[in-house]
Amino acid sequence: MTVRGTALLVGILAALLAYLWLGEIRPRSGPARAKVPALLAVPPTDVARIDLEEHGRRLVAIRRDGKWVDAQGRPWRGDAVGDLLDTLGTLSPIMVVDPDPAEPSDYGLEPDTPRLRVMAAKGKELLSLEIGERNPAWTGLYARLAGQREVILVGAVLHWELEKLRDAAPEAENS
Amino acid sequence: MKTAPRLGVGLLATLLAGASRLAWPAPPTDQPWTLEAGNWQDGKDLLPEPVLKHLQKGDYWFKVVPVDAKKFHDNYAKKFWDLTAANEGKYELDEATCGLKDKATGKNPEFVVGLPFPKVDPNDPQAGCKIAWNFTFAGSGAGGGGATFTLNGVDSSGEFRRIKAFVHTMGYQGRLDGKLKDNPEKLEGQGVTAALEPQDVEGFSALTKRYWDWDSQDAIWAYVPQTRRARRVNAATRSEPVQGLDIFADDLNCYGGKVEYYKWKLVGQGTILAPVLKPTPFQMRQVNPSRYVVETPYMKAGYELPGSRGAPWWIQENLVFVQRPVWIVEGQSSDPYYNFGKVIMYFDREMYRIYWKLVHNRAGEYFYTAACGYHFVKNDETFSAVFPNLVIGVNDKINRAALGGRYQSSFIERNWDPGYFSLRTLTHMSD
Repeated sequence: MTVRGTALLVGILAALLAYLWLGEIRPRSGPARAKVPALLAVPPTDVARIDLEEHGRRLVAIRRDGKWVDAQGRPWRGDAVGDLLDTLGTLSPIMVVDPDPAEPSDYGLEPDTPRLRVMAAKGKELLSLEIGERNPAWTGLYARLAGQREVILVGAVLHWELEKLRDAAPEAENS
Repeated sequence: MKTAPRLGVGLLATLLAGASRLAWPAPPTDQPWTLEAGNWQDGKDLLPEPVLKHLQKGDYWFKVVPVDAKKFHDNYAKKFWDLTAANEGKYELDEATCGLKDKATGKNPEFVVGLPFPKVDPNDPQAGCKIAWNFTFAGSGAGGGGATFTLNGVDSSGEFRRIKAFVHTMGYQGRLDGKLKDNPEKLEGQGVTAALEPQDVEGFSALTKRYWDWDSQDAIWAYVPQTRRARRVNAATRSEPVQGLDIFADDLNCYGGKVEYYKWKLVGQGTILAPVLKPTPFQMRQVNPSRYVVETPYMKAGYELPGSRGAPWWIQENLVFVQRPVWIVEGQSSDPYYNFGKVIMYFDREMYRIYWKLVHNRAGEYFYTAACGYHFVKNDETFSAVFPNLVIGVNDKINRAALGGRYQSSFIERNWDPGYFSLRTLTHMSD
């Protein structure tokens, strides 16, 4: 092989290596994709009280001696309260649907919309969420965090957990 | 203002619903009836919510047939129920894994047949896991079999893809014929599946071995004819779409994994419309000393019948629904490679089949419902089997579906050569 041929091959090899380094191997230096925080940023064990207020009815769950009771001290059935907290601890907003909605009612967010409040000891609010309608495909729920304008979409598993919560209430009227 | 019209519409709908309720009596319990958009209220407590929505829109309707509870119970042979009764008090669960444990030895039992937990107490914190074990053993009585079936991808304009494939399975546990003498690999069961059509997937095949222990993953090998190589794949691939269709390996029987893969939780009870080919058993015809053939009718879907009503993927013929009491159970995998998040399943409280499942992805979005249909096989009181013959997998996120199963002939094999379930079979499939 001639010197020119060898040089050509070395050149091709160098180009291939450069491509591999730049295109495939080199660590990406761009900013890491920020992980969207879960709706509930504290462990479920830090939660002392949950209020679900909807259509003039309020469901209350208060942690007492490691168990969940209502405002009258009656126990909640099953694990629905714990399941809801576990879900809130893993559920992040999927997307911002509307940063500044002209008509929040388009998303089922109205003055009497269901509101979920999660509190730590001494009434410190950990989460306050207005819960709107399901999206057309029923894959998620429209919602809004307290004090914010933007409408977010959260997974419909929250709808399932809230249904379980309603079914597990000590009695129908728990206000 | 949008509130007032919405309220008005809501009130009107409520009034109409109430008025229409007065117009016809409650559905009969002793005669067939049809649940459809016009009387959707009658299905409110009989269907999962996303399915009810399709019913209201007219996409689906349900031919409901009456079923005698005792007769339905007798779809499983007396031998099965006797063995189930004899299991009372024999088994418990490994706390950490939900694995089945023999109370006498504290270990994985050597051989189990019949439901391991004849009675399930809904207040038992381990009820969900016990239900899952009963489900496993309700479906494993035949000991083995196979069928050639189709997978059909269907969207709003009709069928867009059709795959023909076969599956052959052999079980070591749960066999009504009794324990096999040799089980050198300590398996719960094994299976081979391969694609036959169309040409671009012909020869794709897989071998699965499920180990009879509490913590092993399934060993799955996938063979690609173009590369002539069989490679080991992760068991979590059960949650990946099959050939890009809206159907998953985990849809077989509505749950296709090892019991230990999920954390199970019983969250409720109810009554559901259960899809079956018919509420009574089919006969099996012996074709050689160990093999029996079962003929079943084909279930045509909307896309196969020009001018039919409803969703193109909805079954139009030879499928009926029976009202069955169910356990409502949540299942969730902790495997980070498993694509499903919370899965909600409706298990028959007596026959332990899953009829419906709702699937959320790991972000908590609901996206998928599977309806799982069955048929029963029984000739006498010493042997019976139940087989999955239909999956209607509906991806509500993209409004697309897939149908799986719908075979017209299947077989029960009571004496498989275990050597058939090998890598050699896999690699020589397309020779």
